[in-house]
Amino acid sequence: MGCKTAATRPRSYRARWLCVPSVLGWLSLCERANAEPLRLRADATAETQAPTGLVVLQGSDNVRPWIATEGLVWAGARPYGSDATADVLVLSMRLRAPHGLGDLRVGRFVVATGAIRPLQLDGASALARAPWGGTVEAFGGVPVVPSFGARAYDWVAGGRVAQSVGSRLTMGASFVERRVHGEIADEEIGFDAATAPLPGIDIAARSAYDITSPGITDALISGAARKGDFRYELFAAHRSPSRLLPATSLFSVLGDFPSDLIGSTVRWQAAPRLDLLASAAGQAVGGAVGGNGWIRALLRTDDHVATSPSGSGSLGLEVHRQDVSSAQWTGIRGIATQPLSHHLRLSTEIEIAAPDAPRGRGIVWPWGLVALAWRSGTGWEAAGALEAASTPVHSFETNALLRVSRTLEFL
Amino acid sequence: MNVRSRIPARLTLLLLLCLLLSACAGVLGFKRASQTHPFEHRAHVLAGVACVTCHAGIATSGDHDPLHFPSKTDCVGCHTKPHDTHDCTACHGESHVRGSAELAREHLRFEHQKHMARVKGDCVRCHSEVAVAKPVALRPTMASCFGCHEHQDQWKVRDCNGCHEDLAAEETLPSSHLVHDSDFVREHGVRAAAAADLCASCHTERSCAACHGQNVPALPARLAFDTVKMSGLHRAGFKSRHSEEARAQPGLCSTCHSEDSCVQCHAASHITPGSATRSPHPPNWVSASRGGSEHGTQARIDPMSCASCHGGAGEQLCIGCHKVGGSGGSPHGRGFVSNKNKTHDVPCRSCHAVGL
Repeated sequence: MGCKTAATRPRSYRARWLCVPSVLGWLSLCERANAEPLRLRADATAETQAPTGLVVLQGSDNVRPWIATEGLVWAGARPYGSDATADVLVLSMRLRAPHGLGDLRVGRFVVATGAIRPLQLDGASALARAPWGGTVEAFGGVPVVPSFGARAYDWVAGGRVAQSVGSRLTMGASFVERRVHGEIADEEIGFDAATAPLPGIDIAARSAYDITSPGITDALISGAARKGDFRYELFAAHRSPSRLLPATSLFSVLGDFPSDLIGSTVRWQAAPRLDLLASAAGQAVGGAVGGNGWIRALLRTDDHVATSPSGSGSLGLEVHRQDVSSAQWTGIRGIATQPLSHHLRLSTEIEIAAPDAPRGRGIVWPWGLVALAWRSGTGWEAAGALEAASTPVHSFETNALLRVSRTLEFL
Repeated sequence: MNVRSRIPARLTLLLLLCLLLSACAGVLGFKRASQTHPFEHRAHVLAGVACVTCHAGIATSGDHDPLHFPSKTDCVGCHTKPHDTHDCTACHGESHVRGSAELAREHLRFEHQKHMARVKGDCVRCHSEVAVAKPVALRPTMASCFGCHEHQDQWKVRDCNGCHEDLAAEETLPSSHLVHDSDFVREHGVRAAAAADLCASCHTERSCAACHGQNVPALPARLAFDTVKMSGLHRAGFKSRHSEEARAQPGLCSTCHSEDSCVQCHAASHITPGSATRSPHPPNWVSASRGGSEHGTQARIDPMSCASCHGGAGEQLCIGCHKVGGSGGSPHGRGFVSNKNKTHDVPCRSCHAVGL
């Protein structure tokens, strides 16, 4: 049983900085500083389609508040082929200054900050926070390529500076540059902002500007308001696909043909167990104008959601319509999940999608899955599923999936 | 005659509707399965009963002390003639309130002893819901914690460990300051932009890498095939409709996938231009006639799709026709500008070699 550490209340930031070396030294001598355990999880999955097998091992350790380590490695194989492979998804260590005034990450991880789109890299990232709400972040490393392959890029580096004004507003500016064979593949500046001007209302936005081929790479904004049982969201997005590609790609020279999206989503908790959601958006893709929309209902079958989200059953139904450019289809999807006992859960999911223009790919694409999962109280889990579908490529496909998992925690 | 005959029909319909709604009241959650009801805190407050009369010892309780829920013995101290012999808490007080307090004791660092001195014994300052007729939650929200400066300071520097023991283990959504509902898969990118460090206070590196990693073994939805959800990316029959989805939002796929991510799967499935029956391109994709070629239009709308198969060495396929002086003409569309040196830098020099 681990002990708890009472929160240390900040008194003086100057004194705190002076205490950093001594605190770090003291913590390193501590047997244990809080109750966070070492967690390990192993998953073994297999499916008959392909067929493939996969083993995923992951672990994390937060035994001391100033250091966290995390790793996920996997190995996969096809029994009848020779393409066995393995890779490291995450292997990182995070050092945290006391009271969150800064942290340092090293290893393999994903950087996603400000208007910089997510980048998986082998490298380092450092962040410093000032007590008055300022933040400075810098990162650098080599972008990851799958299966320990040859490096696709030489290096990537960037950073972000941001300033918060109270708890109402945060604004930031970022920069990123990526090189391949000495050439600039990406060079962007970005801006981001998030504000909560009134209780229940929040707005977030970000935009990246391509310096190599001057113009807006992408811009996103989302504003949401919550009142009672309703939540309203307005959103808009602008993307210039040719600028999203590395500037070293021949396809980046095709010009600026952006796609735009503007829409709204509404969620209404119509009854204590019933959520209704609807979304509609207008789109412009190239020269074509269209839109998409969906309506969704989710009914929980018990009241356990407040204390145990994973312990409840639910029924869901969604109708979806997409109609823009050459992407035109209608779909309906349903889910049902219900605990059969304390340890067993039955789930099923069905979808029927119908393209407006089949073009020899089938009139409808039905898909269905039935799964049974078992969870012990000792960290063991097992799940099996049968999947069947009619796809544009095959008129009938079946697949069986199996997963066995083991979770361990060491205090 | 007709009007008279319709009245019973309408009444019957109305009656049926009422019956249906009342039958569904339990299903929809209007009528709780549990027979318990909220404890009458407000009545006790109005009657002038001090909190510590029932919650004895709470004023001096520490982080490890047991919860101070009153027992039947505490109740009968005042209610000397109970209306039945059952345990009072079997009906008075909802189980989720007790559950919420137990979760707080397990996952939060909190000592009533310290807080009581700060608020001078005024419990309602934090537990404001005890004074309302129909309380939603008796446990104070994070917003009320932020009413004090020291917690605001902790929040600014993302010092969650001050109160939370292990956020990952809590597995509770931060309902008071962040919302993870509706279409959060679409929303999360823009919302995380200015608050990535806030996201990191709960989410581990694996949370991001599970989708955005270049070498993910399988997407989370595929690994957790037994957890069916209404929201989520790549759910259900996504494999069938992925080309429609990609065409609907050009460039979106590149948020996670590299520019050559499609080629491996398509090659394994023999869906390549070299295979006449299973080419991903429609007939007359490339035409020699002026203005009659579809591939140029589609390439401008979504160059990522082209690059996913024809990137790298495959670009030579384009250059064969679109080089300077070639039969395909200039590939540069509207709005094309570049700061690159066209005779020196990649990819410009592929077509604009010195002398061309």
